[in-house]
Amino acid sequence: MRIGILNELAYRMNFLVQLLQSGMSLLTALVGFLVVFSHTETLGDWRPNDILALLGVYLIVGGLVGLLIRPSMSRLMEDVREGTLDYTLTKPEDAQFLVSIAQVRIWKLTDFVLGSIVLGYALFNRGLDVGFDETIAFAVTLTCGGAIVYSFFLILSTLSFWFIRIDNILVIFDAMYQAGRWPIGLYPYWLKFVLTFIVPIAFAITVPAEGLIGRLDAQTLGLDIGVATLMIAVSRLFWRYGLRNYSGASA
Amino acid sequence: MLSIYLAYLKTSIAVMFQYRASMLIWMIWRVIEPIIYLVVWTAVAKSRGGEVGGYTPGTFAAYYIVLMIVQQYTFTWIMHEYEWRVRSGTLSAVLLKPIHPIHSDIADNIGYKVLMTVIIFPAALFIGLLFAPVFTFHADLFILFLLAVVLSYVMRFFIEWALALVAFWTTRNEAFNQVYFLLGLFLTGRIAPLGLLPDWLREVGDALPFQWMLAFPVELLLGRLTNGEIAHGLTMQVLWLVFSFGLHRIVWWRGVRKYSAVGA
Amino acid sequence: MTMPAIQVSQLSKTYVVPEREAGLSAAFKSLIHRKTREVKAVDQISFTVDEGEIVGFLGPNGAGKTTSLKMLSGLLYPTSGEAHVLGHIPSKRHRDFLSDITLVMGQRNQLVWDIPVIDSLERNRAVYRVPRSDYQSTIDELTELLDLGELLQKPVRNLSLGERMKCEIAAALLHRPSVLFLDEPTIGLDVTMQRRIREFISAYNREHGAAVLLTSHYMADVEALCDRVIVIHHGRVLFDGPLTDLVARFSPHKTIQIELDTESADLSEYGDVVEQEGARYKISVDKAVTPEVTGRLLADLPVIDLTVEDPPIENVIEQVFSSENAES
Repeated sequence: MRIGILNELAYRMNFLVQLLQSGMSLLTALVGFLVVFSHTETLGDWRPNDILALLGVYLIVGGLVGLLIRPSMSRLMEDVREGTLDYTLTKPEDAQFLVSIAQVRIWKLTDFVLGSIVLGYALFNRGLDVGFDETIAFAVTLTCGGAIVYSFFLILSTLSFWFIRIDNILVIFDAMYQAGRWPIGLYPYWLKFVLTFIVPIAFAITVPAEGLIGRLDAQTLGLDIGVATLMIAVSRLFWRYGLRNYSGASA
Repeated sequence: MLSIYLAYLKTSIAVMFQYRASMLIWMIWRVIEPIIYLVVWTAVAKSRGGEVGGYTPGTFAAYYIVLMIVQQYTFTWIMHEYEWRVRSGTLSAVLLKPIHPIHSDIADNIGYKVLMTVIIFPAALFIGLLFAPVFTFHADLFILFLLAVVLSYVMRFFIEWALALVAFWTTRNEAFNQVYFLLGLFLTGRIAPLGLLPDWLREVGDALPFQWMLAFPVELLLGRLTNGEIAHGLTMQVLWLVFSFGLHRIVWWRGVRKYSAVGA
Repeated sequence: MTMPAIQVSQLSKTYVVPEREAGLSAAFKSLIHRKTREVKAVDQISFTVDEGEIVGFLGPNGAGKTTSLKMLSGLLYPTSGEAHVLGHIPSKRHRDFLSDITLVMGQRNQLVWDIPVIDSLERNRAVYRVPRSDYQSTIDELTELLDLGELLQKPVRNLSLGERMKCEIAAALLHRPSVLFLDEPTIGLDVTMQRRIREFISAYNREHGAAVLLTSHYMADVEALCDRVIVIHHGRVLFDGPLTDLVARFSPHKTIQIELDTESADLSEYGDVVEQEGARYKISVDKAVTPEVTGRLLADLPVIDLTVEDPPIENVIEQVFSSENAES
């Protein structure tokens, strides 16, 4: 009886809890921001409003990943473990497409909304200097970032065809993602490398933010597009390879 | 009693060993956080000509390495554990045992700490090699530091164990836990050494036990405290310890009454 | 005079449950002010169970069985009334009390999921302060009675449902409790495993003189184990007595099973034909006239085979509940 009542309320409670969580993480970030900038005017060569814009992008991308990418990928790992992936594979549609849109977690929109507010505020403080070039750069880098993160997740999830207990690895992503709240350029060389090429936090957060505030150079933009294209292709191939392996095993 | 603890320790270590991969992964989380703030504060110090609030990049590195170790040895996950226990109904099994459940929680916690020792020191060494910390070591401070860490651990355990029992009253206590962890993030000294926090935040901190959990033992070891401050800190730790011990007794007693009134 | 192992008088448990209306605004309102209503899960039940007795606790889902067991094992605080188990008041959860009872409920209580069963047993040994010498002999005894064998070395998560239940029971009985509360000990198990557990409960009861109070949906359990049953429904005791009395009291009919050489006989003049399968018939007749009808059947018809049975106990129980519903 208790369970039934709880379930009935679960959705609404989930929303409230998510709102609280988003609010808290925003508050944490803002107070941290204030503490840091009470002691300095620049961080690396980033000004306070640049960092604030970066924070906005951090929340927006985090929200989008939590909304669109992560739920489906967690679901995929679970389906592989439980053997329920077979239902998806029997559908007359591209399996990668189906598993990628299997689930959304709508409450994560709160992060997106809060992030947009922070970003808007930061850009306003900077004097609304976002021109045509910056808008295009932001759109392109955000798309590439999304594609890279998606491919990264797809590769991890595909690994679950071989290693059943891999869901914990998503925790690593969360831990690393925290690092993206500050410019990747601040980190020592080896960590910069990890945060760029092993866990692609730099492409997901720093590069789009740089694009928006006009700090992006052509070289980085080119690299971004290149890596995105490569990741999409590699993850696609790896997925198909994993799928062949999976079907072979269960047959 | 000792044989019960030995049996508990044996099982909890056996269980954790089964999850060694997950534990390693969680460990990464706990290593990343201090690195992030260390990097940020190093950048701040550099932008200020190499020093901020009495810290240089080298002493920041020392601060965060010690902080990571102290955090590792004093933290508990009991608030999440109870959230899960009450929701999944496994609390009933605990209540049927002719022994107070805090003992198995203590044993679990100690077991984890023992296992993690093999990871945390290499991790600390690793960060040390990369960030070049500046340490001055005093043997007498080290003994006081050990005392402060033990006090911090016991005090923290009782406080968090008592707060975990909020789960008896509400099944969604994530909200409560979140507030606690957020306060802890700032007031224990994880985001920044307490001296770098704005005054209003430090005043909030003075009314709460958080600063005695991490910041105090860390700054003690780094030789940043006067003798008077050390004596004051140890006293505060003992006072909070006595308070939290009493609190856990009362909350447990009332919590069980509440739980057995509404059922599982 | 010995004291009964379990003594319950006028025991009641009332839950206060929140009442909710649909819709978002109502949900927010309820966060501030909750409407509640009382549900009587157990309503003034009284009974006693003696040492060495196995008593079946029967009733449909939600009748109050589990609530009663939880009150008797000290997990729930009664709203009113009294319970004494081995001379203790359960809700005080005294260490001596907890050390001398056990509650088996569901599958994940005693055993630690990720480690071999024997390690969980060892852990329980320490918690219940079982002396080493007793421990080894108990393990040997349980291993033999339950056929545990190699299971003890396996991690719990690698066990099947039935194996897990056996180990769960072994862990629950390691400290040789004098009172056993068993909530659905055979649920979800296959027939062989059910029988095995049944035999074990019976053997344990014989050897240790323990009092057993058990609930089960499987009447085979009840028939095999319980001399006495207590039927509860809507939190009240409907019946307390020997199983045979339950049948006599609530089932005024007997079933005559008869086999003829024809498939087209009309037997409706003898009683209600409840089933026909080829040349086999089942007729339900009033208990009082059973001998007479049997005589007539044998005299009138070319009978190949004839048996007289009490109706299945499930049907009797069903009848108990439906008659109660009709009354209320």
